[in-house]
Amino acid sequence: MRFAPLVENEILKLLKRRRFRVALLILVALNGLIVFAQTQAKDRRPGRDWRVEAQERVARMQNWERSGRLPQTQLRWVRFEIARMQYHLDRNVDPEAISGPLFTRAFANASSYLLLPLLAILFAADIVSSEFAQGTVKLLLTRPVGRARVLSSKFAALVVAITLTVTLGGVVAYLFGGLAFGYRGWGAPVLTGFRLTGETFDPAAVRSLPLWEDALLAFGLAWFAALAVGVIAFLTSVVLRSTAAAMGTMLAALIAGTILPRVAPSWEAQRYLFVTNLPLPDYYSGSPAPITGMTLPFSVVVLTVWALAATGVAYAVFLRRDVLA
Amino acid sequence: MEPAIVLAAEGLTKRFLKREVVSDVSFEPAAGEIFGFLGPNGAGKTTTIRMLVGLARPDRGRVRIAGFDLARDFAKAMSRVGCIVESTDLYPYLTGRENLLHFARMLPDGAESRIAELARLVSLESRLDDRVATYSLGMRQRLGLAQALLGAPDLLILDEPANGLDPAGIREVRQLIRHLADERGIAVFVSSHLLAEVEHMCDRVAIIHRGRTLAMGPVRELLANRGAERLVFRAQPADRAVEILSAFSRDAAARAEDGETVSSEVPHERVPEALAALAAAGVRVFGVERQSSTLEELFFEVTGGETV
Repeated sequence: MRFAPLVENEILKLLKRRRFRVALLILVALNGLIVFAQTQAKDRRPGRDWRVEAQERVARMQNWERSGRLPQTQLRWVRFEIARMQYHLDRNVDPEAISGPLFTRAFANASSYLLLPLLAILFAADIVSSEFAQGTVKLLLTRPVGRARVLSSKFAALVVAITLTVTLGGVVAYLFGGLAFGYRGWGAPVLTGFRLTGETFDPAAVRSLPLWEDALLAFGLAWFAALAVGVIAFLTSVVLRSTAAAMGTMLAALIAGTILPRVAPSWEAQRYLFVTNLPLPDYYSGSPAPITGMTLPFSVVVLTVWALAATGVAYAVFLRRDVLA
Repeated sequence: MEPAIVLAAEGLTKRFLKREVVSDVSFEPAAGEIFGFLGPNGAGKTTTIRMLVGLARPDRGRVRIAGFDLARDFAKAMSRVGCIVESTDLYPYLTGRENLLHFARMLPDGAESRIAELARLVSLESRLDDRVATYSLGMRQRLGLAQALLGAPDLLILDEPANGLDPAGIREVRQLIRHLADERGIAVFVSSHLLAEVEHMCDRVAIIHRGRTLAMGPVRELLANRGAERLVFRAQPADRAVEILSAFSRDAAARAEDGETVSSEVPHERVPEALAALAAAGVRVFGVERQSSTLEELFFEVTGGETV
């Protein structure tokens, strides 16, 4: 018995249902709304000539560079800033202006807390429980296919659905962002790798990347966070056998994750909760950690441990439990 | 030649918490046989069926299908089985064809090529590309049956196949099941709480009540053991008729059911004699009706009068 047809079944069931179209609609509507809001807010300093400003800035920094009095770390930053300004001057693009690619990159950060995890939950919370609710689980588990394979095929379909959602999110953000702010600018250099060491800013790890590479990394991290949430929602779907209960549980967890670091930043143990570790792309662009001391590798490990544990429990429960629905 | 045993349930027992809902149930339907599993709602029928198809694990006992132990060789055993458990639940947002394709993909190669033939068999060809959400209950039941037959099974397990069907639908399903058993030699295991259904369709029957098998055997034998068939006379005056007919009755005396109905157990060969005697005594006979004893009566007897 081959595995691919089973995955095909599960993907078919995911895509044929209304909730996939709803997810797509949410992505389109939300992106459209944000882009619209931003076009209303742009041009806050009318009458400014960005070319003059940028040229002055380059000249100033070239002076600093030549003076030879800058420490090594600052010198790196100054050189990078000159290159960045030059890039924008060469292409006649305002470095302060938002572009389609920049908007897309910002979407990765903004959507990793709530939107993408939410969509992951939308699929995962229902993938097993809906079979119980419809009664189709009785047909699904009386085929000449072991339960582990049935669950694995659902798992694979979930990974595909989440990957597809994150990708579509990026594509939709780029289409809308480009429509409003222009489609070009993937090559613009961006600074990355900022780190706060204690109270001071540590520029040692700062690197320059082209925007497309930076965006790809950010989306990769957002995908990983969404996947971890999806796997945990998958577990609740298996255990609770009710889509509503699974969704409710996961939403409560997500909300707790956004509130806790704000109301109780001194509670250190929350760093081991999966919800506190979701904004992975934020680390990467240099925002302060939700709880002091948390780092990107730490969060990746915490999410991985949660996901693996959830997978283990989901299989153990699904393989053993009598189906009496 | 003895027909091959397709399904063997041996001492199946299932407990929920402390309560034993199925106790030591065994049966062995053979190829080409329609085996009825009869019991009131809550007797343990559905739990037993769930153990037969691997949805629930028995606490004791085991299930073998086509020689394979269900617990150890699940995939091999289940490749010989088609089943409908409880209700025919299919994916409402998929079409009939998509549903069949879905389940065909979970079977060894070749199942997909049977879809057209099976759609014809259950008369769903014209609606196969409509979504199941638009199907009537009877159509869903038939699609469920097509689904169960996709893998060309040796054993068909049907839980309450008549549920929700109108009389015409019940008849249709019954004929289809009979056809499958007779023409294709499929063993059919049918659970039901409807006595008439089992009586008309099944070759053998097991009666289950409170998780225990109370009686098992060929339907005819089970009924025959209950003695002679009864004759019901419509005659007046009834008390006179009772007197006369009691003399002809084999075991029990005749008794008056109401003002003009008298039931008796007059043997077949003595009926003309009895009629002559009635006429001679001036009893006016309006009709005689033969009433074979039914599974229903047997059922009342073995379950101690509990209604179905």
